[in-house]
Amino acid sequence: MEHREIGEQENGQELAEFERKLRIAMQRREAPLGMKQRVLARARERRQAQHGRWWMVQRIAASALLATIFGGIAVYKQVQERALERKRGEEARDQVMTALRITHKTLDHVNERLADNSKSTLGFQTFR
Amino acid sequence: MRKPLNWPPDFEQLVEEHQSMVFSLAWRMTGDRGLAEELAQDVLLELDRNLARMKSPEHVRFWLRQVTVHRSADALRRKQTKAASLGTDVWVELEERHVLVEPIDESDESPLGRRIEDLMAGLPESQRAALVLRYQEELTPEEIAVTLQSPLATVKSQLQRGLKLLRARANEYLKEYVRGT
Repeated sequence: MEHREIGEQENGQELAEFERKLRIAMQRREAPLGMKQRVLARARERRQAQHGRWWMVQRIAASALLATIFGGIAVYKQVQERALERKRGEEARDQVMTALRITHKTLDHVNERLADNSKSTLGFQTFR
Repeated sequence: MRKPLNWPPDFEQLVEEHQSMVFSLAWRMTGDRGLAEELAQDVLLELDRNLARMKSPEHVRFWLRQVTVHRSADALRRKQTKAASLGTDVWVELEERHVLVEPIDESDESPLGRRIEDLMAGLPESQRAALVLRYQEELTPEEIAVTLQSPLATVKSQLQRGLKLLRARANEYLKEYVRGT
């Protein structure tokens, strides 16, 4: 029993000693020379590429926005012109209709007068 | 949670502060120095992309550890798949090239310290991750469980098994080393 305990104790001590050595052996290694510069250079490249992409996206977005604005203005103008033309057309039609109504009334009037004249002429002839 | 006053800090400052931690984690996870540098660079660049989401220095440290361990595991799996499909020669060649990138000053290191990456590389991936976080990063088993998103009991068992296996392999290596000197 005692032998077993002593054995376990020795084993524990050996393990602790190995762990101590392992901690020393596992100190962090220095990074390779120039690694930091290489990382920073790659990060710079990436940022530049990203900036380039961002710039391109901004330009495309700005172009799309301008195209939308100008297109909108053009469409708005066209719609306005069409509305104006339609209004003018309606006005012209109204004028024609008014003219036709006046003509119609005048013709009716003339027709009545002619009918009256014909009646009076016919009566005079009958009386003679 | 409130952000610290001068937050977020300059990216360069963060790289300076964390590069050795990220690189060491990646190296001990993959066992390949060249691959570790590539991974470390990728992880730090990802930090740059996600800098706006970082809330504190602790959050950065936690995030870097988690992403490095996961990226390293992914890289190892890809490497194993490629090695299986291409044959091992390509990887032997690549590893030699990576190792030749820069000689390491080993003059004041212990024999265990000199071979620790190789010894770690022989361990199963999950045990390796737990051991690196425990002995390099000095994390508690609870913190390791959170970082690896594993149950605490699993992490404790991985630590125990990994330590036992590493100790056995280290003893073998040290015996060879003593015979060789």
